[in-house]
Amino acid sequence: MKVNHRVNRKFHAKAFPIAIAIAALAFAGGCRVNRPKINHAREQILYDASPADPRTFNPILVTDATSGTMIGDIFDTLIRVNVKTLLPEPGLAESWDISPDQKTITFHLRHSLRWFDGAPLDAHDVAFTMKVIYDPKIPNSIRPSLLVDGHEIDTQVLDDYTVKVSVPRVFAPLLYEIAGLPIIPEHVLGALYAAGKFNQTWGINTPPAKLIGDGAFMMTNYVQSQLVQYRRNPTFWMKDEHGGELPRLHGRIIMIVQDQNADYLKFLSGQTDVYAPRPKDVIDLKDKAAALHIQVHKIGIDTGELFFSFNRNPKHFVHNGVTDPKLAWFTDPNFLHAIAHSIDKQGIINLCFHGLAVPAVAEISPANKIFHNPNLTDYDYDLKEAARLLEARGYHLIRPGVRADRHGNPLIFNLTTNADSTERQQMCAILKQDLATLGIQVNFRPLDFQTLVEKLDSTFDWDCILMGFTGGFEPNDGADFLRSSGNLHIWYPDQKTPATPWEAEIDSLLDQGTTVMNPLQRAPYYWKIQQILHDQLPIIETVRQTRYAAWKDSLENYQPTVWGLYKPEWIQFKAN
Amino acid sequence: MGRFLVRRLLNMIPLIIGITFLSFLVMSLVPGNFLSTLKLNPRISPQVIKQMEAQFGLNQPLMVRYLKWLWSVLHLNLGISLAYRVSVTSLIGSRAVNTIILSACAMVFAWIVAIPIGIAVAVNQNSIADRVLSFLAFFGMSVPNFFLAFLMMWLALQTGWFPIGGTYSVDYNTLAFWSKIADRINHLILPVFVLGTAGMAGLMRLMRSQILEIKNAEFVRTARAKGLSERIVIYKHVLRNALNPFVTMAGYSLGDLLGGAALVEAVMNLQGLGLLLLDAVRQLDIYLVMGSVLVGTILLLVGNLLADMALVAVDPRVDFSSAAQQ
Repeated sequence: MKVNHRVNRKFHAKAFPIAIAIAALAFAGGCRVNRPKINHAREQILYDASPADPRTFNPILVTDATSGTMIGDIFDTLIRVNVKTLLPEPGLAESWDISPDQKTITFHLRHSLRWFDGAPLDAHDVAFTMKVIYDPKIPNSIRPSLLVDGHEIDTQVLDDYTVKVSVPRVFAPLLYEIAGLPIIPEHVLGALYAAGKFNQTWGINTPPAKLIGDGAFMMTNYVQSQLVQYRRNPTFWMKDEHGGELPRLHGRIIMIVQDQNADYLKFLSGQTDVYAPRPKDVIDLKDKAAALHIQVHKIGIDTGELFFSFNRNPKHFVHNGVTDPKLAWFTDPNFLHAIAHSIDKQGIINLCFHGLAVPAVAEISPANKIFHNPNLTDYDYDLKEAARLLEARGYHLIRPGVRADRHGNPLIFNLTTNADSTERQQMCAILKQDLATLGIQVNFRPLDFQTLVEKLDSTFDWDCILMGFTGGFEPNDGADFLRSSGNLHIWYPDQKTPATPWEAEIDSLLDQGTTVMNPLQRAPYYWKIQQILHDQLPIIETVRQTRYAAWKDSLENYQPTVWGLYKPEWIQFKAN
Repeated sequence: MGRFLVRRLLNMIPLIIGITFLSFLVMSLVPGNFLSTLKLNPRISPQVIKQMEAQFGLNQPLMVRYLKWLWSVLHLNLGISLAYRVSVTSLIGSRAVNTIILSACAMVFAWIVAIPIGIAVAVNQNSIADRVLSFLAFFGMSVPNFFLAFLMMWLALQTGWFPIGGTYSVDYNTLAFWSKIADRINHLILPVFVLGTAGMAGLMRLMRSQILEIKNAEFVRTARAKGLSERIVIYKHVLRNALNPFVTMAGYSLGDLLGGAALVEAVMNLQGLGLLLLDAVRQLDIYLVMGSVLVGTILLLVGNLLADMALVAVDPRVDFSSAAQQ
C-alpha cells in the first residue's frame, strides 16, 4: 500500500507541470494563424522600419526627424531638391521665374492639383501656409529659415495658380528653404487656425483619414509603437515618362521597431524590405546577400560632422577677475594643432566603425558636392609632431607623464560626450590614451544628453566635448553655429562682437554667401569658411561614417542616397 | 473589517502624495527640461523654445507646477505628454493594458510551473530530479532577461515557428475575432516564456525551502501519525502553511506588473509601457512619467492591501485587529 502510494504521489507531482507544458505547447501551436504569408511583391507594399514613434502629424509643428519621415510622403512642397544633383526641381509648382534683380520669385502651380478630400489645391493654400508659419503664436522650426535678416518674406497671390514671393535683399537659400516648406490645406485648417487651435491640431491621436494632404501616399492606419500604414494617393499629380500613374507602390508600411537588433532580425527574416545597416551589419549582410536575395551597397559618406571642440567662453574661465589657465591653452593655435595631430583617425575608423568610415577634414561633408572644400590637408596622426608643437610654445614635461604650461600649470582638462553613443565614448577613450602619452591628463566623463545640452547652452561648464551635427545641403542652415553671435556657436556663443579676427571674417563670409544666387558662385565663400575653421581649429573634425543601404533583390528603382531616396515614386517590386 | 479597510485607504492618501511629490522633485532637480534637446537644433530659435516653455508651463516654479498637476489629477486628468502633445491617459491606457496582460500571463505561467516543481523537488529532496531542476533554476536566475529575449528572437528567426517580435501581425486589422485572439496569443508566447522563466527560478527555490522547513514540523509528524495519506499531508497541511509568503509576494508583484517587462518589451518590440516610460524619463517628459508613477503607486498599494486581506483568508492566525495596528 505504501509503496504504491509513493509511486502515485511522485507521478502526480511531476506530471502536473509536464502536463501543463504540453497543454500550453499544444495551445500555442493551435494559435499560429494559418494564412498565406504576406507577399510584399504581389501586393506592391513596401515594408520599412522606424526606430521611434511620430510625435505629431502636423507638418508645421514637427521638430523631430521621425515625424518628418512619417508625414513626408503625405505633404508635398512647391519645389523639391533632386538628391543626386542637389538642384531644385518642380514640385507642386511646375515652374518658377526669378526676377532680374533676383529679389522676387513667381511660382506657377500645376492646375488640377487636389487635396485627398477632392478640394482643389491653389495659391491660397500657399499663402495660408506662409501666414501660419510666421504667426508668433505658432512655435515652429520652419520660421527661422524663412526670415531674411529678421524680415518676413512677402507672399502675394496673383491668381489661383500664381504666387509671388519677395525678399528685401537677394537671399540665396530661398529656393532650398521653400523646398522644405510643406503646404497645408486652408479649407481644412483655416477655421481651426482662426479659432486659435492650430497648436492642438493633427496630433498623433488624429484619425489618419482626417490628415488631408496632397502627397504620394495617404496614411490609413497608425498603431502606437507598432506601425504606420499608407495607401497610394490615386490623384497624385506626378506621372511617369509614359503618362503612367505614380507612385508605383500600392502602399507602404513602416513598422516601429525600437531596438536596432530586432530591426536587423526583421530584415533578415524578410519582414522588412529595406534596411540601413550599421557598420557591424555590413560585413554580415554582404556574406548573406546571395542567400537572402538582397543587395548591399555603399551609398556615400555621412552628411554630418563629428568633432572635438574646446570651450573658449570667458564666462566659464574668468571668475572674480581670475582667469583659468585653460582659456589660454584652448585659444592657443599650437595647443589645438597638437591635439589635431593626436587624433588617431585610422584607429577610430577601425575600432569604432569597423573600418567603414573616412577621415573628416572639412566642416562640410564631401556628400555636399557643391559646398565641400576638397583642398584642405588633413593633420596627420603624429604624436612626435604634437610634442614638438607643445614644446615650441613652452609646454614642457615637468616630470615623466606630466606636461605643464610655461607658468607650471599641469595640462589637465575634462572631456565629455553623450553617454548614449558607444562610438563616441570609444573615440574619447582613444584620444585620452594618446594625450596621456604626451603628458596631458584628460578626465573623461560621458554625460546624459540633456545635461550636456544644459552645459553647452546655459552653464557653459565644460572644457572639451565630442559632439556631432547632422548636415544639410543648404550651408546657410549652419549659420547659427558658425556666426559669432549665434546661440549655437558652441565654443563661445552669443558674442556681442566677434572675439577674434577670424570669427569676424567668418561672419562676413556668411553674409556674403547668401547674396549670390548661383550655387557655384556661392561655393567659394563657404570653402573659405572651411579653410579658416581648419586653420584655427575651434572644432577639430574626426571621421565620417560610410553609409550603406540594403534592400531586397525584388525591388526595382530603389536608389538610396545619403540625402534620401532618388525618385521614390518610381520604386516598385518586380512582377512575380 | 470595514474599519480596517477605511484606515488602510486613508493611509494611502499621504503615501501617494509623498511618492508623487518626491518623483516630481527628482525630475525637476535634473538639469534642463524636456525642451533642452531642442536647443541644439539649428532650426529652432531660442524664442520658439521660450514660447513652448510658456505653452507647457515649464517656466513656473516647482510647487506651482506640482499643485497644478495634483489639481488636475483630482479631476482625473493626468495632463499632456510634452513629447507627444496628447493626453497622458491616451498614451498610457492601451499600452498599460498590453503590459499588464503580458506581465500577468508571465506571472501565471511562472507560478503554475514553479510551484508544483518546487513541491516536487522538496518532497524528493536530494534526488537527481531535485539537483537537475535546482541547477536549471540557478541557471534561469542568472541568464539576463534581455539576453534570453534575443536568444528567443533568434530561435524565431531560425525556425519560423514564432513571430519575430511585435504585439500582433501587420494584417491584424483584417482578421476575424478569433483569429485576432489567436494572433495575439501567438505573439505573447515567447515574451511570456522569457519573462516567466526569470520569475520561475526564484519562486521554485522559495517553494522548495518553505516546504523543507515545514515538512519536518511537529504538526506534520502528528498528521502522519494520525494515519493521513501522504498526499493529504503534503497538500493540506504542509502546502497550506508554506503559502503565506507567496500571498504577500503576489500582492507586491501587482506593483511590478507595469514596470517589470520594460527590457523584454524593448527587445521584442512589444507595445507596452516599458520603453515609453524609459524614454519619458530620459527626455524629462514629466507629466508622462508622473502619470505612470501614479498608476504604478496605486497598483502597488492596492496590491498590498489585497495581499493582506488574502492573508487573513488563508491564515487564521492573522486577524484584522493585528493587521490594522501595522
